[in-house]
Amino acid sequence: MSPSETTEDVATDDAVVEDGPLEQFAAEVAEAVGGAGHVTFGTVKVTVDADRWKESVQILRDRFGLVYFSWLSAVHWSNDVAVGEPLAEETTERYELLCTVGDLSEGKRVTLSTDLDPVAPRADSLVDVYRGADWHEREAHDMFGISFDGHPGLEPLYLPSHFAGHPLRKSYPLLSREVKPWPGKVDVEPMPDADDNGEDDEPAADPDAPSTENPEA
Amino acid sequence: MTVADQDLVRHLSEASVSVELETEDMTLNIGPQHPSTHGVLRLVAKIDGERAYDVKPVIGYMHRGYEKLAEVRNYPQVTTLLNRIDWVSGYANEVPFIVAAEKLMEIEVPERAQYIRLILTEMARISSHMVFMASYPLELGAATPLFFALRERERVLDLLESVTGGRFHPNFNRIGGVKPAAGSGSTMRKQIQDLPQGFLAETREAMDRIAEAADQLEDLVAGNEIILARTKGIGVLPPEVAASYGVSGPNLRASGVPFDLRKIEDYLPYDRFDFTVPIGENGDCWDRWWVRLEEIRQSSAIIRQAVDSIPSGPLQAKVPKVIKVPAGETYVRAENPKGEMGYYLVSDGGQGPYRLKIRSASFSNISILPWALEGAIIPDIIAIMGSLDFVLGDVDR
Repeated sequence: MSPSETTEDVATDDAVVEDGPLEQFAAEVAEAVGGAGHVTFGTVKVTVDADRWKESVQILRDRFGLVYFSWLSAVHWSNDVAVGEPLAEETTERYELLCTVGDLSEGKRVTLSTDLDPVAPRADSLVDVYRGADWHEREAHDMFGISFDGHPGLEPLYLPSHFAGHPLRKSYPLLSREVKPWPGKVDVEPMPDADDNGEDDEPAADPDAPSTENPEA
Repeated sequence: MTVADQDLVRHLSEASVSVELETEDMTLNIGPQHPSTHGVLRLVAKIDGERAYDVKPVIGYMHRGYEKLAEVRNYPQVTTLLNRIDWVSGYANEVPFIVAAEKLMEIEVPERAQYIRLILTEMARISSHMVFMASYPLELGAATPLFFALRERERVLDLLESVTGGRFHPNFNRIGGVKPAAGSGSTMRKQIQDLPQGFLAETREAMDRIAEAADQLEDLVAGNEIILARTKGIGVLPPEVAASYGVSGPNLRASGVPFDLRKIEDYLPYDRFDFTVPIGENGDCWDRWWVRLEEIRQSSAIIRQAVDSIPSGPLQAKVPKVIKVPAGETYVRAENPKGEMGYYLVSDGGQGPYRLKIRSASFSNISILPWALEGAIIPDIIAIMGSLDFVLGDVDR
């Protein structure tokens, strides 16, 4: 699967500082797990194929001593979004599964990434490697509908048992925003020119504008 | 007790062991409103006699969908949500997110703003640990420490309020620095506003009192035999198991692992201050209490050093009026009072995050509960849960 445009951009940006310790570490890890590694704003990110997911995590734990399980989650890359702004550039529709693990002494950490099928996303469960993966995988199953093979009990963690849909998919609408537009919109109107003096910098108060306080109430 | 009585007691206790009792498993629901849960957590435990097996925490009663909401908001609006993740230390939640956005924008934050962030983060730590110092003995039946701890916490909250205008939800960070202090006008005016007058002197005084209060709390609790009996050797978490579950913060350090992100990551200039990372020996409930007490002392020492060395200068870097974060992704984590708090921020160049993964400490910290509570007696369930110091807002997000 092709990496997204964003990832490529980041990789070229960082090429300037090729030989830092983080870059060396990224290259070392990438070689050991058989993937592609780069550093994105201080984060070592290594991309592997989905069928090497569990094996790669095992290598990280056993060979690099990354025994601390930080988190596992996903990003839904989609051109068709029901919430928020659509992506600036077209991308391949897919789920990117992410897992961050680290060590307990020097602060080394690796974010492992793999691309999953956009229609029926599934990956191997990491519960045998890190016990903490249990809840994180259940959450990813709730929120993105990703299946984890070998998970001991992929029951809903957050959602009620008969809940339909996966809320963090980009196709899932935010219903409260459909019913009523986000009142915070008033805040993002373009501001007056920066060179105005003093008092006039306050945006004109619209008496009919809904309050921005506590929008969830 | 006479010798005959002692014999009788021994005889009875032996008798009760030798009798084969037929027991029946029972399911016990604890919560969702037990006072020791700091929110709404439900435990479904199978009980055999006094012991619990197969404990299943049921979470999600406080799930507010912040990761989804973050996708429809712009960057300055997101911090309002983040304050409410772990409301006991609201200020500390904002910092890693703001630092992540600043990393992607490649903004250099003025030193003074970094120091203010650091001072307020440590205040949030003291206030969070003081809540623990108040509530944990209470859960074990000792009410007195509550009054001492909450009184001192109020001093810290007053200071936080004098700067940020809020006790729990300061929403004080801005991309590129911090907001001008409370009461000194809106952000839109371009006057130079700063910390409230007398803040530094008051902070010094308050930190001396916090250090005294820590001694008082130690006197109150550490000499109490009942508390010692309820906590020593109870709920031992071996370091390998804790790390595998992603347990972090004081809970992991109590198990003897000196893992403190303030020493490892560079989100705030902690490397300029002299402080130690307290670690426990046994990883039991007692060590978790003790590590937090010691951290209060360390935090007050950090704040005192920071107040003495805070540089002058601007509070804000130059940022565009409409914040757009260039495309990219990064993970920034910070040592929050409860443990590792991090944000995986994915931006596509727009005004709001494309995806924001919130890694909260309490979520991973309580995922160890089924393991830690296996075979525990019912009163120990409360002792162990309380010692993990979680907040349900931080679990459910």
